[in-house]
Amino acid sequence: MGMTIGTYLPPWGTSDGRVLGYDEDALTMAVEAARLVVDAGAAVSRVVFVSRELPLLEGGNTAPLLAALRLPDTLEVVEQIGGAPAVLDALMSAAPSTLVVAVDAVAPAGAAAALIGARNPLTFAGRAQRSLPQRTRLADGHSYRDDDPRLMRESGVRTSLAAAQLAEKPLVMAGASARDAAAWSAAGAPTLPTLGASSTLFALAALVDSSRSGLVAAIEQAALSAATFAAAGSTVRRHERTPQKAVVRKRSPGGDIKLSLAAYDRAFKSKVGWQAGQCTSCGLMSIPPRFHCLGCGADDQWTLAALPRTGTVYTTTTIHVPVPSLESPYTLAVVECDGTDVRSLMHVTDVPPGRVAIGAHGRLVLRRVAMRTGVPDYGHAFSPDPAASLTAAGGAT
Amino acid sequence: MRRVAIVGAGMTSFGEHFSRGIKELIPMALGEALASVDKGMDRRDIGAAWLGEVGTTDGFGAGILADSCGLLDIPVTRTENACATGQDIIRQAIYAIASGYVDVVAAVGADKVRDTSSSSTFWDWMAQTRDMAWDFPLGLLAPANFALHASRYLHEAPATREHMAMIAVKNHFHGVKNPKAQLRNEITVEQVLKAPLVAEPFGMFDCTPQSDGAATVLLVAEEHVARYTDRPVWVLGFGLGIDRVMHQHKRDMTSFTCTVKAAKAAYAMAGLGPRDIDFAEVHDCFTAVELISYEDLGFAERFCAHKLVEARDHYVGGRIPINPSGGLKSKGHPPGATGVAQCVEIFEQLRGQSHNQIDGARVGLAHNIGGPTAASGITILGKSRP
Repeated sequence: MGMTIGTYLPPWGTSDGRVLGYDEDALTMAVEAARLVVDAGAAVSRVVFVSRELPLLEGGNTAPLLAALRLPDTLEVVEQIGGAPAVLDALMSAAPSTLVVAVDAVAPAGAAAALIGARNPLTFAGRAQRSLPQRTRLADGHSYRDDDPRLMRESGVRTSLAAAQLAEKPLVMAGASARDAAAWSAAGAPTLPTLGASSTLFALAALVDSSRSGLVAAIEQAALSAATFAAAGSTVRRHERTPQKAVVRKRSPGGDIKLSLAAYDRAFKSKVGWQAGQCTSCGLMSIPPRFHCLGCGADDQWTLAALPRTGTVYTTTTIHVPVPSLESPYTLAVVECDGTDVRSLMHVTDVPPGRVAIGAHGRLVLRRVAMRTGVPDYGHAFSPDPAASLTAAGGAT
Repeated sequence: MRRVAIVGAGMTSFGEHFSRGIKELIPMALGEALASVDKGMDRRDIGAAWLGEVGTTDGFGAGILADSCGLLDIPVTRTENACATGQDIIRQAIYAIASGYVDVVAAVGADKVRDTSSSSTFWDWMAQTRDMAWDFPLGLLAPANFALHASRYLHEAPATREHMAMIAVKNHFHGVKNPKAQLRNEITVEQVLKAPLVAEPFGMFDCTPQSDGAATVLLVAEEHVARYTDRPVWVLGFGLGIDRVMHQHKRDMTSFTCTVKAAKAAYAMAGLGPRDIDFAEVHDCFTAVELISYEDLGFAERFCAHKLVEARDHYVGGRIPINPSGGLKSKGHPPGATGVAQCVEIFEQLRGQSHNQIDGARVGLAHNIGGPTAASGITILGKSRP
């Protein structure tokens, strides 16, 4: 058993590159990709989360990641700032049942996750730690760019490939521009949808899909890692819908949406883990959890129970007017979870506003519901199935 | 328990009172109510006062009422019960009088919505009326709050957006004659349907304007009525209904459960049914709310409210005139004052003095619904002593 790879691309942008939805960030994308490999209940012993766009730089990313994946909050999570080589390094040194999640939350955006099986299909093949920082992003948020593609091709990619002393041309070069990848890879290299951390896993997924084994390189500017990949025994699960043009939303001026951190904390496990309060006496489920059970009258006798993450729209509205610190238009829906009578109000995501109809079926996915005084407020949103009945564009329901 | 009658009623005009603050609107409304008392009333007769105010412009409401009206020696209480505030302060006034503790009560409703920016007013209020962790960050604005009901109602009932529009058209038609109304212009169904969308299925003309204003009714115990007037308006019944605060906990969103509960209580107390109501002031913050309320109040069979609209039964001169004042849509909606102003209209109708007089009106009903569609207040008033 090799590895199980899950890949996620936001449904926005073009075939040349995806962009994030207004309610997505590196964490929500990490969850989208990782759910593809852990939803079946596979055991996870350790998590490595690699991105250069971690939402919170003072801690706080790991708990929502574990909660949304319904993994124990006792797991070790490594939060790593890194690109394509860092992900290849993390993968090849990972023990069985390690979950590696890699996210690019700037265009071209994408995320991928891999759960290492009993036998790690990657073995070290070479590395070159070199510096040619044509692009920089500093701690103060400023970024600088000195585009000289020829310099990068010659003193970056070519020199690092030579320094790594690879036996042959790699089958695929994650992290390189399409032109560099074509120049330095073996014939038939796949085109990858991202350029950063996640591109390594998109590269491996492409090899699994075409049953090709061999040398894989991952490069970030002039830093390069390489490994030998055995494709047999690995599987790929993709969540990559056809891209659509990103919706123009108007963010209205106004202060941030106020946040009570105490209220955030009380709601966290239920909201991010999508769990109802369930009465231990009569079994009634309620979201949010209730102190007083409406079924049997018991007080404070509840425990958290996972809710299905699929459901049907009971009613919906789309708000067109500007709302301070929110982005209009946006669609709300009351969604009934499949197989329960539990409903919840949530945003509709992944489709343009105003397109979801009553009765539409879909998935409940983690999204950044709002930014509230610097805190990403995560919760679940309704993502209609591709086949769900949508109303015509621009029409009122 | 003593019977209670209204002997005086008055209100400011509703609109954007940029030049007047809450400390002026409140005494204006009280002064007009006192002046409407046929045999006169000295404000020193007032034994207690309630202020219905949803926002808190300029601070502490009860004190502002006492201070601005020269009522410093009586108990004053501010009540907030979302947009049902108006009917709720009347209910509390009735409790106080019926119990025998007080003989004369001033119920004053007021709000100064336009002291905040038109774009942020309702959003500012949302911070105080939504679950902070679950609903507030979703942007569940007041129109969206009701639109979730309207979408489901249109999905299940034969009614259409045209029927909603016809309600706005009717309320503007009535409001043209009301000198206190904010929007005194007629509109057409086509204008309503073509207006920019606010929260689907509501366009701008499906929505009430934002208003400032105040209204007052003076309530008196039965044995003191004759000192003030020979043509009082009697309280026949009232009810306050509460529903679940989150939309996801409302099983049937084609109806407003709180209204059904309030109506049941009010009709039972009055010993009347919907057919006994000659006309009503129905809470039309959004057109579909009036439409759905026809059913909740028993004026129409379930999912048949549109038939009442098609027959024009809701016009003055029709079977059950609704909102002869112009309703919230035309008259305006300063939330704390809205319910009290509805009773001002009913007071004038039952005394034959309305700007839009309904022939032979003997019993009128006032209805509010508010908050997360979770509070409804109803008052039934009559010409004859119960």
